[in-house]
Amino acid sequence: MSAGAEPVTRVVTATWDDPEVFGIDGYRARGGYEALATSLAMTPGEVIDLMKASGLRGRGGAGFPTGVKWSFVPQDTGKPTYVVCNFDESEPGTFNNREIVEREPHRVLEGIAIAAYAVQSHTAFVYCRGEFLWPGRILEAAIRDAYGAGVFGESVLGTGYSLELVLHRGAGAYICGEETALLSSLEGHRGQPRLRPPFPAVEGLYASPTVINNVETLANVPSIVANGAEWFAAIGPEKSPGTKLFSVSGKVERPGNYELPMGTPLRTLLEDHAGGVLGGRRLKAWTPGGSSTPMLTDAHLDVALDFESVAAAGSLLGTGAIIVMDETDCIVEAARRLVQFYAHESCGKCTPCREGTWWVSRVLGRIEQGYGRPEDLPLLDELGRNILFKAFCALADGAVSPIQSSLLHFRDEYEQHIAERRCPFTGRGPGLEAVEPAPDLSGVLS
Amino acid sequence: MSVLSAELRATAEAIKARYPAGRERSAILPLLYLVQSVEGQVTREGLREVGELLGIRTAEVEAVASFYTMLRLRPTGTHLISVCTNLSCALRGAGEVFEAAHVAARVEHGGEVSEDGLFSVHEEECLGACDAAPVVQVDFANHDRVDVDRMGEIVESLRRGEVPTPSRGSAPADFRDASRILAGVEPAS
Amino acid sequence: MSPDSVALTVDGIEVVVPRGTLIIRAAERVGIEVPRFCDHPFLEPVGACRQCYVEIEGQRKLFTSCTTEVADGMAVRTQNTSEEARQAQVANLEFLLLNHPLDCPICDRGGECPLQDQALAFGPGESRYTEPKRVYEKPIPLSPLVMLDRERCVLCARCTRFCDEISGDRFIELFARGAGERVSIAAGEDFRSPFSGNTVQICPVGALTAEPYRFVARPFDLSRGDSICDHCSAGCNVRVDVRRGSVVRVLARDNADVNDAWTCDKGRFAFAAPDRPERITMPLLRDHGLEPASFEEVFASVGAWAGEGDVAFLAGGRLLDEDAYALAKLARRTFGTNDVDHRRTFHGGHAEVLAAATPLATTYRDVERAAVIVVVGLDAEQEVPILHLRIRKANRRGAQVFVVHPRRTRLEDLARHELCLPEHQSYVLERILDGDDAEGSFAAEVAAALREAGDRAVVLAGDRLAEHPLAADVALRVAQRYGARFALVPRRAGDRGALRAGLHPSLLPGGRRVDVEPERAEVEAVWGAVPAEPGRSAAEILAACARREIGVLYLLGVDPLRDVPDASLARRALENTAHVVVQSLELGSLEAYADAFLPAAAPIERSGSRTDWEGRSQPLHPVRPPEGLARPDWEILAGLARAMDRPLGFETIEALHEEAAPLLAPRTVPARVTAWTGTGPPKRLGELTLVSYPLLVDEGRMSEGATELKAALGEEAFVEVHPVDADKRGIVDGATVAVRTSAGEELVPARVTDRVAPGAVFVPFNQPGLAANGLLSGSFTAAVEVEAVASDAAPAEGAA
Repeated sequence: MSAGAEPVTRVVTATWDDPEVFGIDGYRARGGYEALATSLAMTPGEVIDLMKASGLRGRGGAGFPTGVKWSFVPQDTGKPTYVVCNFDESEPGTFNNREIVEREPHRVLEGIAIAAYAVQSHTAFVYCRGEFLWPGRILEAAIRDAYGAGVFGESVLGTGYSLELVLHRGAGAYICGEETALLSSLEGHRGQPRLRPPFPAVEGLYASPTVINNVETLANVPSIVANGAEWFAAIGPEKSPGTKLFSVSGKVERPGNYELPMGTPLRTLLEDHAGGVLGGRRLKAWTPGGSSTPMLTDAHLDVALDFESVAAAGSLLGTGAIIVMDETDCIVEAARRLVQFYAHESCGKCTPCREGTWWVSRVLGRIEQGYGRPEDLPLLDELGRNILFKAFCALADGAVSPIQSSLLHFRDEYEQHIAERRCPFTGRGPGLEAVEPAPDLSGVLS
Repeated sequence: MSVLSAELRATAEAIKARYPAGRERSAILPLLYLVQSVEGQVTREGLREVGELLGIRTAEVEAVASFYTMLRLRPTGTHLISVCTNLSCALRGAGEVFEAAHVAARVEHGGEVSEDGLFSVHEEECLGACDAAPVVQVDFANHDRVDVDRMGEIVESLRRGEVPTPSRGSAPADFRDASRILAGVEPAS
Repeated sequence: MSPDSVALTVDGIEVVVPRGTLIIRAAERVGIEVPRFCDHPFLEPVGACRQCYVEIEGQRKLFTSCTTEVADGMAVRTQNTSEEARQAQVANLEFLLLNHPLDCPICDRGGECPLQDQALAFGPGESRYTEPKRVYEKPIPLSPLVMLDRERCVLCARCTRFCDEISGDRFIELFARGAGERVSIAAGEDFRSPFSGNTVQICPVGALTAEPYRFVARPFDLSRGDSICDHCSAGCNVRVDVRRGSVVRVLARDNADVNDAWTCDKGRFAFAAPDRPERITMPLLRDHGLEPASFEEVFASVGAWAGEGDVAFLAGGRLLDEDAYALAKLARRTFGTNDVDHRRTFHGGHAEVLAAATPLATTYRDVERAAVIVVVGLDAEQEVPILHLRIRKANRRGAQVFVVHPRRTRLEDLARHELCLPEHQSYVLERILDGDDAEGSFAAEVAAALREAGDRAVVLAGDRLAEHPLAADVALRVAQRYGARFALVPRRAGDRGALRAGLHPSLLPGGRRVDVEPERAEVEAVWGAVPAEPGRSAAEILAACARREIGVLYLLGVDPLRDVPDASLARRALENTAHVVVQSLELGSLEAYADAFLPAAAPIERSGSRTDWEGRSQPLHPVRPPEGLARPDWEILAGLARAMDRPLGFETIEALHEEAAPLLAPRTVPARVTAWTGTGPPKRLGELTLVSYPLLVDEGRMSEGATELKAALGEEAFVEVHPVDADKRGIVDGATVAVRTSAGEELVPARVTDRVAPGAVFVPFNQPGLAANGLLSGSFTAAVEVEAVASDAAPAEGAA
């Protein structure tokens, strides 16, 4: 946490000054699992109403109201209901879920238990990203301790309400953060997204009603129960209440997670908390919510970081992951690297994503290596349009963000690459002297 | 010769039992990690055995296994070095670290395993630790803010048979050990 | 408009469709085709290829018409009227073609390829993609039948979804992801599904091709005709493609009432029989040898022989309906005998009468909609494969499936099986009938399920049930007790039609009993006098022949030496009959016995109809004229009757239909009068019971020439023994064993497996290396002993 900033209300990180909250005893010493006891004394409907009243919106990227999501779960299907905690944190630039688990795993477990009670689920899962080997072990231990303390099992906190919690590890696939792909994966299939409807709330895991919430979302839940909906709703702007754990990375002095009220301007986050751009250089571009959100520039320093304001500025709050690029960074290379990511992570199911990201990553690679052509820019414009909203799920839309936003804000830099036949930042490329461009034949599959 | 010993078959059954009755297919990833922990990769025989454990065809298992990058269907070194080269890490010099990993581990680009069988190098997507860029995982244990020199040191210590101390938590002994942990099986000790 | 209907417009055209209809189907209703690759009307929507975008007025984004359901008042605009939709389709096509090899000139799909058609209609002339394409090794064989070219594949997943949703044979899957995603098969495995050919047919590009058709023809080279498959009683609607007079390809036609869009690999790939060199297309008459003759000469001889002794008729299981009717009448009217039969399994009883009298009492649709399906004495996948698919479809929709059979079937992944000895199947049925078995038992579970399902239950009884006298009637009683539907499911394509037509010693057309005067009289009103005494069954005819009691044995489309489960009796019958007349496509092993041969036209050469297991009669159309002098069977029979001065009374197929229609109309059958006494406690034939039935791909004559089919799905002969029985006898898996019955002994490799019931020994009827009828004495079961053969027997000749 940074120093020097104005004191702000903290929700998720409120007790992080105390390293003991990592363990179940330390967590309990700071009031942990009291919110669960409070919830269990309420009716499930009251818990849902409380969540609705708080205005909490999902922190995984889409920003859907959490209480409303819970209320969609039908209770008369005769099937079991499931709660799944989405800990497949994979959006480039995003690392707050991991820190929450590494610092205060029981906060997440308590959130899961409250959510499960609210929707009357008796089996919950944590889908833990495979690469999070260590955070997964933390959760395993925390779950064991929580079972030992009666938080899970036959009778949660002695109330007779039963709840099992299972840790499930993924195995390396960004798409599994998408909730229907996550469910496919958890069911033991390829992590490809499914058609909606039916929506997971009605037919999710094992074709049964399912609530899927992100780690940060669930980490907010105990505090909301403990402090009340009004307390939470009073933090930040009306439509995006609460705080956000912003992940700041890239060219800043102090990269890290910063919990600030929704609506905090980037300037405050960057300068007062993250220590400003690395080496005092000029801010060139930044993503407000991970790599899937369109880049903004230094012209957007005063944009308030909440769902509505960022959208008004032409981007998305996404996961609140700010990746900062400075004046020495090549935007074409940044875009290329991000599109390569989407091509690599495309599940392959639908045509525009599978073929489109592959094509664009090749064109961008060619431009970055000094083999761009003037007609590449209108081609990229068109390919972006042909992918956007045409794919099965939002992964491909995420891939369009760096393409379109970089072309929008930094078209001159592309033109310079093409005109000079090299990258002006790295000097890579044949330059104007070379005659025969050598095509890149890498990536041919066998 | 089967991949899983009788003891590990019992473990496999316990893994299946984590999931609701009739939903044992959910155990496919941990079961694949389990066979990977034995062979250091997922072999054809491993795929077949997982299919047998779940009552599904081998092709269904391979369809799943080949979808996920952490399940290695090809020969893999004793240690797997994963270098994140995604944007946040790239901005902090990950490209050079990735190069350095190849040089230090003596693995060709696109090559699978170093000649001594010790290392495989994997270009990793974002590892969710961008505050510590560039990030490297050795057998899925995180090493923060790795530069070219540190990359070389890590590889050398592995070569000496040591387990370099990760930035947080404890480190698996090697790739197989990591796979065992990922299967959710606690160490025997 | 009913509340279940929705009115919308597509390109301004109004259409009313059932609620829940997908836009792409609604558009088809008004003749508008939205381009698609992944969509298939018989597969679940997936929305993968993204080709079928349409605009919905008032909506910001485009919608895939294959995944979006219609809504009231919706105004859909397809590529025909929406520039945005058209552009999206063009863009998507460009993506699909990026990595496509564009090798249409050497692709089997060329000329009938949706991708090619759409590229031609919409695609830009040149690609803007200048990077290298994806390259794969190609083609790779998935089996001896199916080849895969991954470069042509557009990853629509139709093939893999077929294997998941329809056949359940998940041999092929999508592997890897992203641009590296590809259809693949597990290393070292073959696409060993009897439905593999369907994936080729539904592939919207040339990625999957069928080996027998590779580089054989172009669509414009082919003439085609609609037909009904003659390999089993499924009644698959097929299209037969002929090039220069020879069949080169068979495709399934869509018929949601029958085969949906599927057919099995045997129906698809075993089409060479009519073009075999052994085919004989002229009449023959034995003088010294069999010499060419005219039809009239043969007819005159048959007439003369008939004067010397009794005439009996045996028919095979693959006659067309018209042939069966003509023969039933010929036997009675022209030759005055009821000694006529087509059967090789003998259910008898009320179930058989009902099957003859009431067509379409139980249908594919009933199976599809059923909540409970009880399969008894039937290995559906091997015997009536498309019924097997329908049972699977019903199960996907929630049906509970139960199987009573001596051997586990390919429904094993979804059905509870009760494995029992063939002679105990009826006992299991009686337990279900009683409905008072201990909870948890198979019978109790079935009874409870049937009770719950009422008329949404179906009982399907197969040929294996005929191994116990009147067991089919017990199955029928089970159905009646719980209000379920019932069907006797015969195996062979002509069985139900022959039964309906009266190719039966005691049943006339429509199941009218010969020995029940009012029923017989209904037939006599049309035919004239019919002998009142029931005739001999097929088995009795052969026995009579063997005893030299028959003067003329008329064989129509049957080879007793191969088809009858008693090889020795068949041989003695043929040897001891004065005159044998063969009417067929060829003589085969009957050459030594035949005194006359009459050349029949193949089904692809003629008009007619075929009745499937449901009792549904479906028309066939000729795809080529008959070879040589061959003629439709019924025409030959009519000629013979004319020559005998006892004409059948019809000269055209229309006249035949007109005469037969009232006799074959559904009729109400009086309830069974005789009380059922029960089978009593189960008895065993012996310590071990041999059970045999033909597998789907075997050495049957109709499959001859289907080399790739046999390479893909055929198996050498084997014997299956339960581990408990094997242990007792020291038999190990893979070892050669002696299988011994009162009829004979054979050496076959053993499979020790719990696929068979304890005490049951399974031998396929007709695989390479063993004709099981040498072990049988009139039925498909027998008391048997199996014995390990010492492996260190005599050293091979020439050894030291």
